[in-house]
Amino acid sequence: MAGTGHAPLRDDPNVLLTVTDLEVEFPVGRNAVVHAVSGISFDVAEGETLGIVGESGCGKSTVARSIIRLNEIKSGTVDYQGKDLASLEGEELRRIRPDLQMIFQDPISSLNPRRKIRDVISEGLAVWGNTKGSWSQDRIEELMMAVGIDPKFGDRRPHQFSGGQCQRIGIARALALDPKVLICDEPVSALDVSVQAQVLNILEDMKARYGLTLLFISHDLSVVKNVSDRIIVMYLGKVCEIGNADELYERPRHPYTRALLASIPEPAPTVDVSEGDIEGELPSPITPPTGCRFNTRCQHTTDICFTEEPVMQQVGDADQYVACHHPVEVAVSVNG
Amino acid sequence: MADPQLVVDDLHVRFPTTRGLVEAVNGVSFTLEKGQMLGIVGESGSGKSVTAKTLMNLLPRTAEVDGSITFEGQDVRDLAQRKQKHFWGVKMTMVFQDPMTSLNPVKKCGEQIAETLRYHMGDDNSTALEKAVDLLEQVGIPEPAKRVNQYPHELSGGLRQRVVIAMALACEPSLLIADEPTTAVDVTVQKRLLDLLDRLRQERGMSMVLITHDLGVARGRCDDVAVMYGGRLVERAPTEVLFSDSRHPYTEALLRTIPRIEQPSHTRLEPIEGRPPELINPPEQCAFAPRCRHAQAACLEGIPENSGLPGMREFACFYPSNTERGDEAMAANIAAGQTVTGLTIAQPAEGGS
Repeated sequence: MAGTGHAPLRDDPNVLLTVTDLEVEFPVGRNAVVHAVSGISFDVAEGETLGIVGESGCGKSTVARSIIRLNEIKSGTVDYQGKDLASLEGEELRRIRPDLQMIFQDPISSLNPRRKIRDVISEGLAVWGNTKGSWSQDRIEELMMAVGIDPKFGDRRPHQFSGGQCQRIGIARALALDPKVLICDEPVSALDVSVQAQVLNILEDMKARYGLTLLFISHDLSVVKNVSDRIIVMYLGKVCEIGNADELYERPRHPYTRALLASIPEPAPTVDVSEGDIEGELPSPITPPTGCRFNTRCQHTTDICFTEEPVMQQVGDADQYVACHHPVEVAVSVNG
Repeated sequence: MADPQLVVDDLHVRFPTTRGLVEAVNGVSFTLEKGQMLGIVGESGSGKSVTAKTLMNLLPRTAEVDGSITFEGQDVRDLAQRKQKHFWGVKMTMVFQDPMTSLNPVKKCGEQIAETLRYHMGDDNSTALEKAVDLLEQVGIPEPAKRVNQYPHELSGGLRQRVVIAMALACEPSLLIADEPTTAVDVTVQKRLLDLLDRLRQERGMSMVLITHDLGVARGRCDDVAVMYGGRLVERAPTEVLFSDSRHPYTEALLRTIPRIEQPSHTRLEPIEGRPPELINPPEQCAFAPRCRHAQAACLEGIPENSGLPGMREFACFYPSNTERGDEAMAANIAAGQTVTGLTIAQPAEGGS
């Protein structure tokens, strides 16, 4: 099982969220299914930022949406504080939802255009008013100030704000219920670079101020590195590599991770630019390749790559795990 | 030195709207040598796409255009009707951002390329289709003979963009304008598309204008880079000069605001405070002044002219970065704790909240 295996899971009391063997499929008619996520496992420690990178169609958004049950899960568990989010139903699921909030990619379309932003931000509080403690205009104003929106604009509607401001409002809305986990699905992809830095800094500030745990999804490798403690690299519904952010970029072992790092316009110094020349197209997730899913485009394949799926294995004793039969050897002394 | 292939002089583009006149492009001038690759970078609303569309004569009728565009000695805004027909799309062509919307979904790919050839080159149907297969092969599409008979939806995003590039190259243009050609695709595909454009440009001795919001893309591929802000061209220089020794404070701030892959994680970013300028009735001042750390009284009293050495480096700033004047202005602002526009500034490497 490529990319599966529980090696990267940590036995640590600080772990807040553990996803085990998550599988998600979407029917596409005539008995065909899209294998969006095929058995991935990872965990997130409290206060940590976990970044997920990969190209479109690799399943990174599906993972995030599955955790908060925005799409159906075929199998697997999502353990959060002793509860399995994947099997909760009804009232129990509803009760847990305030703990896990999400920020979306398109800041403007994720806000209701007809409502005042004050109401957009306070809606969660109005729903949960009785159980989550009392709420007041003060709380809304505090949130707006925290994300850098002047509270006097509370009566304006989303179209009167720029994209960057709308994303701040989205962050304020997500924070209103005092969540523990904030899932950010490409939160800065629609923003200009000068605004991107503002929003990334706000996320870091909010994380420190409210003690958040972040799941940060992006296709931009530099952005992910900047915000993350740990990073998962995904390809076609599988995990290629998991590791500490700095170490993973310093010593990428999976050929796909290396290809990504070599493809960006200003390639990472740790890889050779030629490693970015991966041939062919992304295979169809309806009929993914057997064996290792990257075998159609990999330069290092041997017979075993077509017959047997690689299992996640630890690299030396570093906090780095790779699912590959032929991980690229990197000249380092740290790893045995 | 031969005359530049393209000379844009004092270009103004305005759009009347119900809220007032939008000054989308405000006095842009630049030149392009034959075979050169010029990158135009800027954020949304900076006027880079409008500039491209003006070059291609694709603006809506309501747009008010002033200034001159001279291409190979000819004023293209003054072309005779019958010449216009075979100018755009032949000599000067364009590749757009989104390959899905720039292809006709109900026509086969080959047919769309052949159409261009029939119309402009007067080829008959079978010759045009043969050429289409040949073009698809040149842009690196596997099994071109099969692909000509496929519809755009049957191809992936990267392949579609290759079809669009093939179409743009069909009539052997001498200038190709690429407007964010790789924004809608993944990084591995982006690399292959940019490699392809590079190769084709060199093989054909074609000039190119590459419009992008991604500084990294411009850095890796262009001979010269021009930076636009608020409808103006604020700086232009040979690529390495621009990235290592920029003069305009906006360029400098832009370079500092992007997360870099070699920095350790959780490196605090330096955002550009404030928001992009209003383009409706912009005040007679430097557009960047409200967000600029160098801003002085003079910046609010007039618009800085392009200075520097044309062809080498140009910039429009009264207090340019990496110069004595700029450093003095910065030092004065740090001492005062704020700029003339009220932007608070602390030490150069500001920590955050």
